[in-house]
Amino acid sequence: MKKNVFYFLGIILLMVSCYPDGPEYYEDLDVVYTNYTESFDFSSKSTYAMPDKIVKVEGNLIEDSLPEFVQEPYNSQILQKIESNMTALGWTKVDIADNPDLVLLPAVWTNTTVIYYYDYWCWYYPYYCGWGYYYPVSATSYTTGTLIMSLVADGENYFEPSGVWYAAANGILTGEYNTSRAMKAIDQAFEQSPYLNTK
Amino acid sequence: MKRIIFLAIFAALYSGTYVFGQDKSHFAIQYDMGFGTGDLGDFISKPSFRGASAQYRFAINDNILVGVDAAWNIFYEKKDYDTYSQGSQTISGIQYRYQNEVPVLIAADYLITTDKKIQPYVGLGIGTMYTERAVDMNLYRFELNPWHFAMKPEVGLMYEISNKTSLKLAGKYYYGFKTDDLDSQGYFTVSVGFAFHF
Repeated sequence: MKKNVFYFLGIILLMVSCYPDGPEYYEDLDVVYTNYTESFDFSSKSTYAMPDKIVKVEGNLIEDSLPEFVQEPYNSQILQKIESNMTALGWTKVDIADNPDLVLLPAVWTNTTVIYYYDYWCWYYPYYCGWGYYYPVSATSYTTGTLIMSLVADGENYFEPSGVWYAAANGILTGEYNTSRAMKAIDQAFEQSPYLNTK
Repeated sequence: MKRIIFLAIFAALYSGTYVFGQDKSHFAIQYDMGFGTGDLGDFISKPSFRGASAQYRFAINDNILVGVDAAWNIFYEKKDYDTYSQGSQTISGIQYRYQNEVPVLIAADYLITTDKKIQPYVGLGIGTMYTERAVDMNLYRFELNPWHFAMKPEVGLMYEISNKTSLKLAGKYYYGFKTDDLDSQGYFTVSVGFAFHF
């Protein structure tokens, strides 16, 4: 009987020790965030302009130098995806010189976080860590990518350009499938912003 | 029919005579399956199969036991990709929701019968319950850690296996009252384990 009791206790401990799992795939961490100015009447507008390049925000710009841009073919793929979503919502793309109601500005940036691990040998070589030797150091890193889309109003009621809609799609960059994940995120950003519909 | 068989088995066991002359004081450890209700049930609809509790009971007399309870249940649910809005803000993604409940209570049990192999009881606990509620989304974690004033009604039975050991089965309801940070939190447990008598 005692044996059975200990088996039972063992099962309890085993089950309790299984702490729940978290994300398994990189795309499990992808999020799309949107926000807008509630007082802005999108339905009364119909035209927008968009640059043909996507700014890559990287570090500090040196004065008078041009920013970096997203490479082709990714640049065109992203812009086309944005345009097709805007068209579906009833917007017409015009040139910036044609006095558009809004300007859509896309941008991307990446951010790399490095994590250092110290003294992970110490469990095995306690004398190595305890006597003033240098700790062995190991590092790992992850890079997140963010795609930002802003709709900027610059008209009669605005003394200076003001963002009236923002969308940010963020996820961990993997080197593969980033483009398809970005396309999905753009669709999602417009899907969760029904107030942009002008039809 | 099933009910009749169940009642027959129950009656047969229940009519067993008191054999071992156990000391009622005991230490019990149980495996707890948890089922969230109310706000907890809305937050995580899946039951918790990760839980355990420990109880110490001192017999004041043959019927009344007093002591302390400590328990731990982990609730977890991975929510499908979904969209959440608050005001003008909207966010879409997969949420990983966790909730740990750790009640620590003083408790008293009343044994309804004491001279049979099966001893049903009712009990009540009162104390505090620590809640750790977390939502993981993207690389961020949103967390709340309130302490609730808590109560726990319990019904159960002990079945004597030997002079020193009983099987202990119980149904418990933990209820943590509302705090400034979080609504009241409640969950049922179905508990099975052993009581070790002194």
